[in-house]
Amino acid sequence: MPGLAAPTATETYVRRFSPAERSLHWLLATTFLAMLATGLILSLPSLAEVAANRQLWKSVHLGAALAFWLGLLGLMSAEGLELRQTAREIDSFDEDDRDWLRWSVTREGFEPPQGRFNAGQKLTAAIVAGLMVVFTVSGVLIYLQETNAAFRGRTSAILVHDIATWVSIPLILGHIYLATLNRSTRHSLRGMIRGTVRRDWARRHHPKWEETL
Amino acid sequence: MSETRLGRRAFLSVLGLGAVGLFAGSRLSGAAAPLGSLVPNDLSNLVTSGGWRIYAISPPWPAFDPAKWTLEVTGEVENPLRLTYDELLALGSEHQTTDFHCVTGWSVSAVRWEGVRLASLWERARPKSTARYANFVSMEQPYVDTLTMDQTTLPGVMLGHGMDGKPLSRAHGAPVRLVMPAMYGYKNVKWLRRIELTRELRPGYWEVNGYDVDAWVGRSNGY
Repeated sequence: MPGLAAPTATETYVRRFSPAERSLHWLLATTFLAMLATGLILSLPSLAEVAANRQLWKSVHLGAALAFWLGLLGLMSAEGLELRQTAREIDSFDEDDRDWLRWSVTREGFEPPQGRFNAGQKLTAAIVAGLMVVFTVSGVLIYLQETNAAFRGRTSAILVHDIATWVSIPLILGHIYLATLNRSTRHSLRGMIRGTVRRDWARRHHPKWEETL
Repeated sequence: MSETRLGRRAFLSVLGLGAVGLFAGSRLSGAAAPLGSLVPNDLSNLVTSGGWRIYAISPPWPAFDPAKWTLEVTGEVENPLRLTYDELLALGSEHQTTDFHCVTGWSVSAVRWEGVRLASLWERARPKSTARYANFVSMEQPYVDTLTMDQTTLPGVMLGHGMDGKPLSRAHGAPVRLVMPAMYGYKNVKWLRRIELTRELRPGYWEVNGYDVDAWVGRSNGY
């Protein structure tokens, strides 16, 4: 684009997330929120008083977990190649990413340039992926020890499930805050809904990715 | 530029922590328990529930109406009873601090109970020599559970109408529940309305579903 001026640049959009990536995001978002809401109802007496139908909330909770894994399986079989590529992108941290993590703590100097995902997003995604496995394993164990005597008293599945919840809540709240309220980052929500973001926003937040487009 | 697989490392670290928690969690949480006392009580009651989970089988929870509620004692007794809430409280008020264990794996330690010993009830109702089991029938239908007559007078067994310094709440079985600390929670019938003494064993709600009739903590149900 010759003679690129700021006003026209704001009108240009670039694609950040593919349909498969967005589907995976919203699959996790809806099933996770359903599991969080029903899980709190199942575990907190202050909420159980409002919603006494334990069987119903339990079914929704387990149904949402099942929906997540079946959905993930479906997405992986349809778009596995592309999603595995995304996972590789999230997995690998270059020098700028490592500098960015240091910078995010110290806030000294300029922000190291970032690719399509910044290092914080990569780290969060990896932790969330780990939490999904921890939730699932401890959740299955809770289910088994409720229904089968052979599994009782062997593991601290309830404790682990609880701790994973208390770790997830600040993560999800921070994530939603950055995507909806925080002025400089909330434009990214558009990328997750429509797939595209403004080119000038991409240049400011993800310059190493923007220059490849 | 050199690349590191930091994502994989973070992912595996979370898995590792989860595995450590699963297999060493009870020891770790014991060590971390003093930290819990740093959290303000109101907050911890709201957020951690003091460890309680509220289980019920048929919503909505029974509601306690002091004007209408009575506790019946029927079956193999010389003197069937129908006690109002006030009459039940008048049978005496014992205090005890005992732990509560759920068969699904959670526990609440040092619950302060206030209640009536079954022995006081038996003095009034006078069980016949044929009475071998006491069936505790809940307002929540069809919940019921049972103890042998001998078990009803073991130390720590009571009809609890107060918990942690307050009248028993609806969530915990208002106005009165069975407290049997040596057995798992499902024996501790909530929302009591009738106690029926019988000659034959009638398995309780969960026992029909495969749980042990003698639900000794640490010595039953696979533990």
